[in-house]
Amino acid sequence: MTGQTDRLIRRGFVLTGIGLAGLAAMYVMALQFTPTEARQGLAQKIFYVHAPAAWSALLAFGLVGVASAAYLWLRDPRLDRFAESSAEVGIAFSLIMLTTGPLWARPIWGTWWQWEPRLTLTLLLFFLFLGYRGLRASLTDPSERARFAAVVGVLALFLVPFVHLSVYLFRTIHPQPIVLKPSAPSLPWGMLRTLLVSIGVFTVLYLGLVTVRYGLATRDDEEARHV
Amino acid sequence: MSDVPANGGYMIAAYVVVVVVIGGYVLALLRRAARR
Repeated sequence: MTGQTDRLIRRGFVLTGIGLAGLAAMYVMALQFTPTEARQGLAQKIFYVHAPAAWSALLAFGLVGVASAAYLWLRDPRLDRFAESSAEVGIAFSLIMLTTGPLWARPIWGTWWQWEPRLTLTLLLFFLFLGYRGLRASLTDPSERARFAAVVGVLALFLVPFVHLSVYLFRTIHPQPIVLKPSAPSLPWGMLRTLLVSIGVFTVLYLGLVTVRYGLATRDDEEARHV
Repeated sequence: MSDVPANGGYMIAAYVVVVVVIGGYVLALLRRAARR
C-alpha cells in the first residue's frame, strides 16, 4: 500500500515537472512568438497567466465541491483527501489570479483594485477557502473534520459558477469571457494559441500538484493508522 | 515613435509571481515528501 502511495507521489512530481517545463515553453511563446496588443502593450501578456490561473483555481474549487458532495453521500475518506488537496492547490492558483489581476489593472484601468462584482466575489471565494483550511486545522476528529469541511466545500460550489457568470449578471468593468462563452473565441489566432497552450499547461500543473498533495495526504493517513 | 504603452514591468512582475508561487509550493511539497 505504501509503495503504491510513493509511486503516486512520484508520478505527481513527474507530471508537475512536465507542467513546469510547459510553463517555461509558454513564457517563451508568449514573449517571443505572440503579437503585442497595440493599445495595452506588454501588460496585455499578463492575460496569458491570469486567465489560466483563474481557470485552474475555479476548476480546483469546483472539484472540491463535487468531491465534498460525493463524500457526504458515500463517506469515502479518499474523497475527503481529494477535496483537501484540491482546495490547497486552488488557493495557490487563486493567489496567482489575485496578484496578476491587479498587476494588469494598474496600467490598464489606472487602479489596482475595484470593488466590483467579479473581483469581490473572487476575493470572497479565496477567503472562503482560507476559512475551509482553518476549519480543517481546528478539528481533530477525522470524520467530524471531513463532514464539516464537506459542507463548506458544497456551499463554495454554488459560488464557482456565480464567479464565472458575474460579468453577465452585473454591471462590471472586468473583461467578458473570451474562450468560455457561447459564441466563438474573440481573439486573433496568434494570441488564442498562446492562451490555449497556457490553459493546458496550468491544467497539467493542477493535475500534477493535486496528485502529489493527494499522495502525501494518503501517506499521512496510512502512517496515522499504524501509530 | 511607437504608440504602444511602455508597461513591460507589470508583465515581468506578473510572470515572476507565477514562478514564485508555483515554485514555492513545489518546494514545500518536495520537502514534505522527503520527510518521513
